[in-house]
Amino acid sequence: MPIIELFDIHKTYRIGEVETRALDGVSLNFEPGEFSAIVGPSGSGKTTLLQIMGCLDRPDRGIVKLDDRDVTRLNADQRAELRRNVIGFIFQFFALIPVLDAYENVELPLLLAGVGARERRERTLEMLEAVGLSDRIHHRPNQLSGGQQQRVAIARALVKRPLVVLADEPTANLDTANGEQAMEIMQRLNEQTGTAFIFATHDPRVMKFARRTIHLVDGRVAENHAPVPVEAAVRSLSHPGEPRA
Amino acid sequence: MTRTKLWMIAYRGLTRNRRRTFFTMLAVALGLALLITLNGYISGVMEDGLQNSIRLQTGHVQVRAAGYPDGKHSVQWKDLIERPEEIAAQAMAMPEVRAAAPILWLDAVLSTGEESVGLQVYGIDVNSPLHDPLRASVIAGAFLEATDRSGVLMGGRLAQSLNLKVGDTVPLVTINANGEPVEAPFVIRGLFSSGVLVYDESVLFMPLARAQSFALTGNRASAVMIELHRREDADKVAVALAQPGLQTFTWRDLNAFILQSMDAAFSFYILMDAIVIMIVAVIIANTLLMAVFERVREIGILAALGMKRLEILLMVLYEAAIIALAGVVVGIALGLLGVFFLTQNGFVLGEMATTAGNLPISNVVYARFAPDLFTWLAVWTFLIALLASLYPAWFAARLEPVRALHTE
Repeated sequence: MPIIELFDIHKTYRIGEVETRALDGVSLNFEPGEFSAIVGPSGSGKTTLLQIMGCLDRPDRGIVKLDDRDVTRLNADQRAELRRNVIGFIFQFFALIPVLDAYENVELPLLLAGVGARERRERTLEMLEAVGLSDRIHHRPNQLSGGQQQRVAIARALVKRPLVVLADEPTANLDTANGEQAMEIMQRLNEQTGTAFIFATHDPRVMKFARRTIHLVDGRVAENHAPVPVEAAVRSLSHPGEPRA
Repeated sequence: MTRTKLWMIAYRGLTRNRRRTFFTMLAVALGLALLITLNGYISGVMEDGLQNSIRLQTGHVQVRAAGYPDGKHSVQWKDLIERPEEIAAQAMAMPEVRAAAPILWLDAVLSTGEESVGLQVYGIDVNSPLHDPLRASVIAGAFLEATDRSGVLMGGRLAQSLNLKVGDTVPLVTINANGEPVEAPFVIRGLFSSGVLVYDESVLFMPLARAQSFALTGNRASAVMIELHRREDADKVAVALAQPGLQTFTWRDLNAFILQSMDAAFSFYILMDAIVIMIVAVIIANTLLMAVFERVREIGILAALGMKRLEILLMVLYEAAIIALAGVVVGIALGLLGVFFLTQNGFVLGEMATTAGNLPISNVVYARFAPDLFTWLAVWTFLIALLASLYPAWFAARLEPVRALHTE
């Protein structure tokens, strides 16, 4: 059963007298454990689609189902509840809380979800170790490099064991080495935890890792490559010459 | 989310701009310190006026003849108490009473040849402890003797204005019990300074027996004045001394005008307090609103992570609570320091003290610790500050996460 189902999603932004159609009848499904990229040029509607899937925004028309539940008409607190429990976010600018250290940033979603102190500590330390930041737990964001900050953000997105992590241009502010490292970490965690990852990106480095790519053009799905089984995707990474799908 | 963590995030939020947080806290602290000091001082002025009136004019309880006119002096026999010593002795037998003695009030005119001044003459039992404060306030010459037939005690300020000194003889004129004007010479035995300028300018003391003979009142007195150990016992003592043909008054009855004036003055100061507290509240609201504007994106992140509107609202309110609480604690400390300084050093009013109408204010007034009043001010400062922070908190809670996240 899909974890996210989108039916005929429309979204138009109005700035003054000007109307911009961001999404124009998008219908898509996302399965558990996916590692997919929504790609397209600037203004194609990728970020808007991600925000609607993540219950940060509402469509003007259409239905969004999350884990078989229609979330389109939920109120602000009900959507917050979903974000706190089943959706993880990774943002382009890392979006860490500057006054909290790495440990506290990662711990925050667990606090919001009401996880007990002992379990909170275990899971926070486990995630920081998984992203290779065990030795930086008490560093604040301004004491970390861009790559380290994005790894904290990855840990924060995954610590609550969400159904899906939505990542908006996660490598846009990272150099090549850090971008690759971040993608490798996310790929590894996807395989280990089974959490689905959906990226909005125009970075070829991300597309290279994705097992499925959805091309958006002018708010419409132009191409939708079929998902690749995890094993095949791993094989294709090991043998880049093989066709992926 | 645990409240503790919300408090921690709120606290961290405040530490990001320490200077602004400090100055906001300082504004709360100084506002409250000002209020506490001012109210401590005003409270001191009011209490000083009331105490002076009780000490110098009314006592805690008075017993008068039933017919004694209200608001003016009379030496007609029908208006006077016949055996005042018996009532004084009866009062003195009560454990609540510290001192009791008869007093005779006369209106008189003193002439120096160059000018005449209207005075109140108090015929007093000079041996009564009731007049110990007066005895202690003699600044020149000597206190009166009970058997002195011609001596008077004059305010130093009046003597100075009339160019008189100890040993000088002055003629006094009064209307006696028969309604006839009588005149007699008196010698200034001593000068006093009560600390209340109005009083020092208008009152003359002489022994009770001499006042009675001067006004032909026999052994009658205008009133028996009673001083208590605790003024709260006034009603009890007044009731105990009540009997047909007499009327009793407590210090509240006798100082009704002063008490009303105090109430009116306090109403005015409450308005001033409210204005200062409002200014402090606006400062806090402004600071928090700036803090919210500065981290709209951060609030968007918290919302994206699943923080609910109520939690965001509480987070901002907690920031306000921390600033307000710190400000209130520092403000109380500074305010008490200010009040303490004014309880030790006082504030010299000088001539200003004479302009306070019927309130006999000392020329040096000291502040007074008024714990109830200070607590009230601190609690209201805290509550109003929190109330003012509701708007910034509401603003933060209403931010749409998707818009907040895209704010630079």
